[in-house]
Amino acid sequence: MNAPQKTDRRALGRALSRTANASVADVLASAQGASGACRRIGVTGPPGAGKSSLIAALVRQRLARDGDIAILAIDPTSPVSGGAILGDRIRMEDLAQNARVYIRSLASRRSHDGLADNLPDMLEIIENAGFAEAILETVGVGQVEYAVRHVVDTILLVMPPGAGDQIQAMKGGILETADILVVNKADQPGAQQLASELAGVMKLRGEAPSGWAPPIVKTSIRDSASVAALAEEIDRHQAWLAERAGAKGRLEARRAQHVASLVARRVAEVLERTSPEDLRRPLAGLYESVIRHLAVFNGAA
Amino acid sequence: MSEQAKTHALKGKRILIAKPGLDGHDVGAKVIALALRDAGAEVIYTGLRKTPDYIARIAVDEDVDAVGLSVLSGSHRDLVQQTRESLDAIEAADIPIFLGGTIPAEDWPDLFALGVKKIYTSEMPLADVVASIAETLK
Ligand SMILES: Nc1nc2c(ncn2[C@@H]2O[C@H](COP(=O)(O)OP(=O)(O)O)[C@@H](O)[C@H]2O)c(=O)[nH]1
Ligand SMILES: [Mg+2]
Repeated sequence: MNAPQKTDRRALGRALSRTANASVADVLASAQGASGACRRIGVTGPPGAGKSSLIAALVRQRLARDGDIAILAIDPTSPVSGGAILGDRIRMEDLAQNARVYIRSLASRRSHDGLADNLPDMLEIIENAGFAEAILETVGVGQVEYAVRHVVDTILLVMPPGAGDQIQAMKGGILETADILVVNKADQPGAQQLASELAGVMKLRGEAPSGWAPPIVKTSIRDSASVAALAEEIDRHQAWLAERAGAKGRLEARRAQHVASLVARRVAEVLERTSPEDLRRPLAGLYESVIRHLAVFNGAA
Repeated sequence: MSEQAKTHALKGKRILIAKPGLDGHDVGAKVIALALRDAGAEVIYTGLRKTPDYIARIAVDEDVDAVGLSVLSGSHRDLVQQTRESLDAIEAADIPIFLGGTIPAEDWPDLFALGVKKIYTSEMPLADVVASIAETLK
């Protein structure tokens, strides 16, 4: 299978669907590998924080430079019906007219980490299609940020004013993974207070082992200077990453995580085909049987 | 067929719900979007007043299995024809169009001739609409 190019939207759209639906065996058979040439930016935060709107504002500015931009926006799949309403692109309507922007809405499906099935493979398709930048929107509450860490280079955590209580609760996890803390809707009351609280929390935390001190940026989609300041911080983080000796190690860590996610999916595939009788067997026997089946790709699985 | 398979008849399908033309009422479009979601579909919603070219482009970028047009303005004939042409022009002749809204019965034959797969009016029970779409996309 040839890698679809960014100009062939029909082929690109279909390749992404195929990959989203692919079994592990299919993913392995069609994997192209990735060069790491595409800048990958993750945008996470609670629903309503303004992530989609802010991505649109950012992309409008970042189009001033060379290269095309892809936006992948993930919304949660309903655990009841398996369906989803994918509404992020409503905030990006003007961009959808731009031939240099590709927007794709994704449902999280079976993925339990807030990402989407086979997301690392879809990002490889985007990269190989020739996009200079990929922006990933995820609803971030809880464990999502850890999973995002491995598929993007730069993570923005977007919070609305009034999220102070949540910040107190999530001091640990979420704030430790974000590279840039964004207080959005800075045109509304409470933004400065949230920024100060965040600064306090970050100060208590002290210097991060990586040496990167996450900046706190206040933005409003109505104030283009604030969006430009955010774009600059993204570039500064990307430049910092590129200069670090560990830059190579990052791609390797990404690959390790990629294979770990494939193994997890493969385990799910095998368990889906395990009969209730087998599931009642003693644990050790069941475990051994699952392990044995992992490497045996038969039929659809 | 199991009960589960019946209620989630649209599992794995991606459907674009779009409102072309000038009328400003999207309650019907939103109701159908939710019903399709509850039947297991991944629904992309475009918002009001979209041009046929724009709708076709999103359908291709999102690689949907079907486009549902909601038209209350009376200009369904032109809008259907233009959307069909826009889709055909970008290698998406295989993406079917469903039409919903206030569509007089005397217009139906023409609309089918223009390439509409199915037509649904607001009097039809939602469950029937969902079942019909699922059957057509099978
Ligand atoms: N006042 C104000 N509203 C904003 C701003 N950014 C987004 N919004 C609004 O917040 C709501 C949610 O935005 P959305 O981008 O969908 O948030 P998401 O759920 O995080 O993707 C929308 O009504 C936006 O218009 C901002 O900077 N200022
Ligand atoms: Mg959003």
